[in-house]
Amino acid sequence: MTALELVRLAISRLGTSRLRAVLTMLGVIIGVGSIVALVAVAQGATSGITDRIQGLGTNLLTVSPGATRNGFTRLALGSATTLTTEDAQAIAATPGVAAVAPELSTQKVVIAGLQNTTTSIIGTTPAYLEVRTYTMWQGSFLNQAAVDGSLRVAVLGSTTADDLGLDGTSIGQTIQIGGIPFQLVGIMQPKGSSGATSQDDQVLIPITTAQHYFVGGDKVRLISVSVASASQIDQTQAELTVLMEQRHGTNGTNDDFTITSQAQLLSTFSSITGLLTVLLGGIASISLVVGGIGIMNIMLVSVRERTREIGIRKAIGARSSDILFQFLVEALVLSLLGGVIGIVVGVVASLAIGQVAGWGFIFNPLTVVVAVGFSLAVGVVFGVWPARAAARLDPIASLRYE
Amino acid sequence: MGSTVFATPGQGAFGNPAPGAPISGDPTAVIELRGITRIYSTGRLEVAALRGVDLDVWEGDFLAIVGPSGSGKSTMMNIIGCLDRPTAGSYRLGGTPVEQLSDDDLARVRGRAIGFVFQSFNLLPRTSALENVATPLLYQGVGRKERYARAQVALERLGLGDRLHHEPSELSGGQQQRVAIARALVTEPALILADEPTGNLDSQSGADVITLLHELNQAGTTIVLITHDSDVAVQALRQVHVRDGLLVQ
Repeated sequence: MTALELVRLAISRLGTSRLRAVLTMLGVIIGVGSIVALVAVAQGATSGITDRIQGLGTNLLTVSPGATRNGFTRLALGSATTLTTEDAQAIAATPGVAAVAPELSTQKVVIAGLQNTTTSIIGTTPAYLEVRTYTMWQGSFLNQAAVDGSLRVAVLGSTTADDLGLDGTSIGQTIQIGGIPFQLVGIMQPKGSSGATSQDDQVLIPITTAQHYFVGGDKVRLISVSVASASQIDQTQAELTVLMEQRHGTNGTNDDFTITSQAQLLSTFSSITGLLTVLLGGIASISLVVGGIGIMNIMLVSVRERTREIGIRKAIGARSSDILFQFLVEALVLSLLGGVIGIVVGVVASLAIGQVAGWGFIFNPLTVVVAVGFSLAVGVVFGVWPARAAARLDPIASLRYE
Repeated sequence: MGSTVFATPGQGAFGNPAPGAPISGDPTAVIELRGITRIYSTGRLEVAALRGVDLDVWEGDFLAIVGPSGSGKSTMMNIIGCLDRPTAGSYRLGGTPVEQLSDDDLARVRGRAIGFVFQSFNLLPRTSALENVATPLLYQGVGRKERYARAQVALERLGLGDRLHHEPSELSGGQQQRVAIARALVTEPALILADEPTGNLDSQSGADVITLLHELNQAGTTIVLITHDSDVAVQALRQVHVRDGLLVQ
């Protein structure tokens, strides 16, 4: 018998009990469907996170305070405030650095008219706009004069502006930040990246103003550095490390600062989301195994029910291998058909989830290949036992079977 | 595959003056049983169903094997039909020693050299008459078109040309048995082995089936009929009787 004949025979046999065939396939449909959907969700989440990290700025290096040691206890990263405005100026003078924006942040209540919100107040310099790749929507960004003069001027993120009911007509208006009046000079474009919009919920003021009114001293929380070109990132990171060690008198073992690149951040996140993908796929695989056991169950029942048929087939010339392949191909057709329907279901589900979550439709052909391979494997693994049972039946006994 | 097992029926049979009788010269024995013994062992108990049977069936023969239940005639049918192997003795089917064949070869012999007709018809359920008759050809690797063409010819030959697409449940007992005979014929076997073919039929349908077997025999097909019913047996050209695992002439 050719493979085509076997498939044709299997389909005609399954066609005589359609409801049973569909119910048997259901396990594989759900298994494959959930693998496809969950992997798409995991990849959608990954690309969402990746977009947001890249949205932080181009060729970004972040210098943040290191951990402090209190006796023998190492405190959390960032627990020290060891960076200063002078560090930022020194970094800006390093070759390969395009722009430097020191940042200082605090949480304050912001009031505009009758509206109020609590949000991040970030003290920074005019370079922030370039380093973090924001663009202005209304008015202008902080200028050097505002920083030099510690002026009480503020630029709002788009979300904050919305929350306070401010728009283009509000430029020049006075708002209260932590009870201190500031003049609104600009509103930024939303970054437009997916997911939560915390990048657009902030108020920017000159760093000197922040130090003067809210924090005190000349410490900064972190320094964002934009490197001139992507190829220089690693080299610049090394140079900045040396520079900062010189300035802080440390030698690499007791550094009180950390320099992270966007690439490091990306690889950290992608390892997390990779784990997430494997985890979700693994959970979905369990349902595929359950579906395979369902197929095996039905095939075993079917072998018993069709004992007489097997006897007849053997009497009219079927070899044991013909019977084996007949039942194996039936199991394969069930699992493969289930797999194909499962892919369709999974793709539709991931399309819907992608729409709701806002990362669009991410389709990975590899998932389909893996899902089809998986369902074929399920068919073989769970089809062999019933098929062997059928092939081994004694023709005389099965012809007499009632 | 060059053995006479696969010879088309009728070769040398047409024109035989006395079908079933040994012909002088070079008679062709389709079945040659010598000292066939079959012992069933269940645990410590051993039951001898056949105890040394010698039998020749000639090409063009129409033989009835008659015996009451428990006589060993079903065991003979199983062995002749290559569904079972003898414990001892030799069996040549169309000159081929069967006991040396592998299970797969036995299946091939069943498919090509023997056509079975059973008491309970044994058609594939929920499968059309055409598909039922075409199935033995499927296992011989005959192509789809040719299978259906030959199955249709066989069914038409048995007067079932208007029942090609009926399933067994839509056919009467007599019609089902005729489909079964068409299925046995379609491979042009050397031998048709009919096990109580009238057992489940009313007397009219039963008589029709026997008439049909006669017509096939006239056309050259070798037929072995197994029955407990002496009224049926007398309609064969010759009879052998089985008693307690032995042939009594």
